[in-house]
Amino acid sequence: MENNLSISNYDFSENKKAQEPLLWIGLVSIIMFFAGLTSAVIVSSTSAAWKIFALPNTFWYSSAVIILSSITYQIGFSFIKKNNLKLPKILFISTLILGFAFIYFQYIGLTNLYQQGIYATGNQSTTSSSYFYALTVLHILHLFFGIISLGVVSTKSIMNKYNSNNYSGVKLSLTYWHFLGILWLYLFLFLSIMMSK
Amino acid sequence: MDIIHSEHTHQESFISKYIFSRDHKMIAKQFMITGFTMGFIGIIMSVLFRLQLGWPGERFWINDLLLGSWANGGVIAPDKYLALVTMHGTIMVFFMLTAGLSGTFSNLLIPLQIGARDMASGFINMLSYWIFFISCIVMLVSLGVEGGAASAGWTIYPPLSALPEAIPGSGLGMTLWLVAMALFITSSLIGSLNYIVTIINLRTKGMTFTRLPLTIWSFLVTAILGVLSFPVLLSAVLLLVFDRSFGTSFYLSDIYIGGQALERFGGSPILFEHLFWFLGHPEVYIVLLPSLGITSEIVSTMSRKPIFGYKFMIGSILAIGGLSFIVWGHHMFVTGMNPFLGAVFTITTLLIAIPSAIKVFNYLTTLWRGNIIFSPAMLFSIGLISTFITGGLTGLILGDATLDINVHDTYFVVGHFHIVMGLSAVFGTFAGVYHWFPKMFGKMMNNTWGQIHFWITIVTAYGVFFPMHFLGLAGVPRRYYTNSTFPMFDDFVNLNEIISIFAIIAFLGQLIFLFNFLYSIFKGKKATQNPWNSNTLEWTTPVKHIHGNWPGEIPEVHRWPYDYNKPGYEEFIPQNIPLKEGEIESSH
Repeated sequence: MENNLSISNYDFSENKKAQEPLLWIGLVSIIMFFAGLTSAVIVSSTSAAWKIFALPNTFWYSSAVIILSSITYQIGFSFIKKNNLKLPKILFISTLILGFAFIYFQYIGLTNLYQQGIYATGNQSTTSSSYFYALTVLHILHLFFGIISLGVVSTKSIMNKYNSNNYSGVKLSLTYWHFLGILWLYLFLFLSIMMSK
Repeated sequence: MDIIHSEHTHQESFISKYIFSRDHKMIAKQFMITGFTMGFIGIIMSVLFRLQLGWPGERFWINDLLLGSWANGGVIAPDKYLALVTMHGTIMVFFMLTAGLSGTFSNLLIPLQIGARDMASGFINMLSYWIFFISCIVMLVSLGVEGGAASAGWTIYPPLSALPEAIPGSGLGMTLWLVAMALFITSSLIGSLNYIVTIINLRTKGMTFTRLPLTIWSFLVTAILGVLSFPVLLSAVLLLVFDRSFGTSFYLSDIYIGGQALERFGGSPILFEHLFWFLGHPEVYIVLLPSLGITSEIVSTMSRKPIFGYKFMIGSILAIGGLSFIVWGHHMFVTGMNPFLGAVFTITTLLIAIPSAIKVFNYLTTLWRGNIIFSPAMLFSIGLISTFITGGLTGLILGDATLDINVHDTYFVVGHFHIVMGLSAVFGTFAGVYHWFPKMFGKMMNNTWGQIHFWITIVTAYGVFFPMHFLGLAGVPRRYYTNSTFPMFDDFVNLNEIISIFAIIAFLGQLIFLFNFLYSIFKGKKATQNPWNSNTLEWTTPVKHIHGNWPGEIPEVHRWPYDYNKPGYEEFIPQNIPLKEGEIESSH
């Protein structure tokens, strides 16, 4: 509960104590968004028009990359907490590069599908292929905000803005990044099962 | 520290104070003015299409004046009638009763009643309002585009909403509807995040969950419903946008236009209904729960009695919120649903009657032998209890699959949801405005005009919606441009006229409120700090607003908010008054 702060001490800009809960409840709303979409996939998969197709191996690579990025980010964060400020700079930038690598592999994977004649839209598309493209792209859209936060964290880290007493921004960004990784692994597993039904 | 000193510590420019304000009280006023303006537009639309329903084909100069090319010769065109009905529903449900009601009172009361300086994030709060404002503009702009506004009904079922070529309103008007709603959902979501985090994290010392006013409980559960259900609507809307604009077939299959089969297959419009109603039913409680919370507060204060069954009231709010997620199928009984599934949805729907009945029982027992003050706020609160009962009873019929099928898509449904959801929420809104007007503007609203406003509103509201049940039972379908071409409905022509006359009087009655509201802001009697002798913390703040709410320290809470006429003690004991020696905290 709130302390009885005097108004003269109150920071009207933002309440830092509330940032983490704000993020967590925001993540719940993202979970519900993808729950709605994946429920739609389940309903649509019962249609006779549902077509299965094999997913390119590239998506395995992207999955490995996003797991690796979570590891590098987590290690960087633990160094910050120990006030070791050199290694996190490298690890945060590595995470950023891995984030771009993930998007690249997703792009290659989707291009492979397109070249196989599995389209997102149009008369030759199917609901299954449309769902696959839609969910993958919507995940990347969410990842875009993660990349921005990683960029901010990396820049601030280079400018030595973080230390063992000040790392709340890193923690928020890290939580979101882990969430995006878990979300992709869920989507990949789910879509792999649904596309082979 | 005095007020003057604290103002010096936090200087604000005109822009930061009145336009891009981060002060929750100013944002509450912004939501109220914008939401009420939208509501006014929505009500005018209903009066216009009631003219058509009451006197089909008659020419009205007002149609010419307000609708222009939509009503050449003073008669609304059939396709524009559908646009009016669609926009009326959309505006009233989302823009007036969701943002206008929840945005206003959650913003105003959450920090004030829990004892916080402001919302958890003032920036997000400001963003929430301005995104809402832009969504209002986009929705209003859609009225003026080629082809007209969206016309697929407020539920925008595909294929009418998925195929731009389906009907005139399926074109740009529908696209703008979707854009506006995407913005609206974003605004509502980030607003809800803020409300939840503020209530959980920023309560003042002593403000435990069992000392929270019921308004705050209802705002909390409302926000949780929003966070869980609006994202699902967003997913449905996005898939619809893909179908409309990118050639996917999520909701389309076996569609024939002009005898030609559409080359889109594999989707299902029923899927949209599932996704829509997963939001749609919780949405009923998103608009209703804040009103119930407001009523709880007013009924107790104006009866000068503790609310009866405080913990049961909290339990009921939680139960209603939880159950609202597992009842959506009752909107879809006629979609070919498996009868077993229909039975499951019937049971879950009827279960909602239990917490609803607990709330009604507790309101009535609070009123029982109370020293009732019939202020306009109290009258509207009692009006809400009335509509919650009468509308709830017809809900039992619509919640039962076997009974619902007989009246599905008839005026029975229109009568039901307008009473239980529309009127209840509107009455709660009016009650809230009358009660907290002194807190918002430092002035009192005129009591006599408020009483006149109430009596006109309740009589005409029942006059409009009660007869609709008989129309529905006779099979008169909703959304039809005219029923005059069906001889079987000839007997109901007069009834439709009466409904329309009541609707016009109801609208004129709202002008009294509008006048009272505006007049009181400028010329109203000055309010005292605690005009209703209420116990909640908002009445411990100065009449003149300051950003930060309390000039000195935030008050500490020592008791629940309903210590009215406690035996052996004062007539009312605000929450910040410590327990006296030997005093036992009231049992909840």
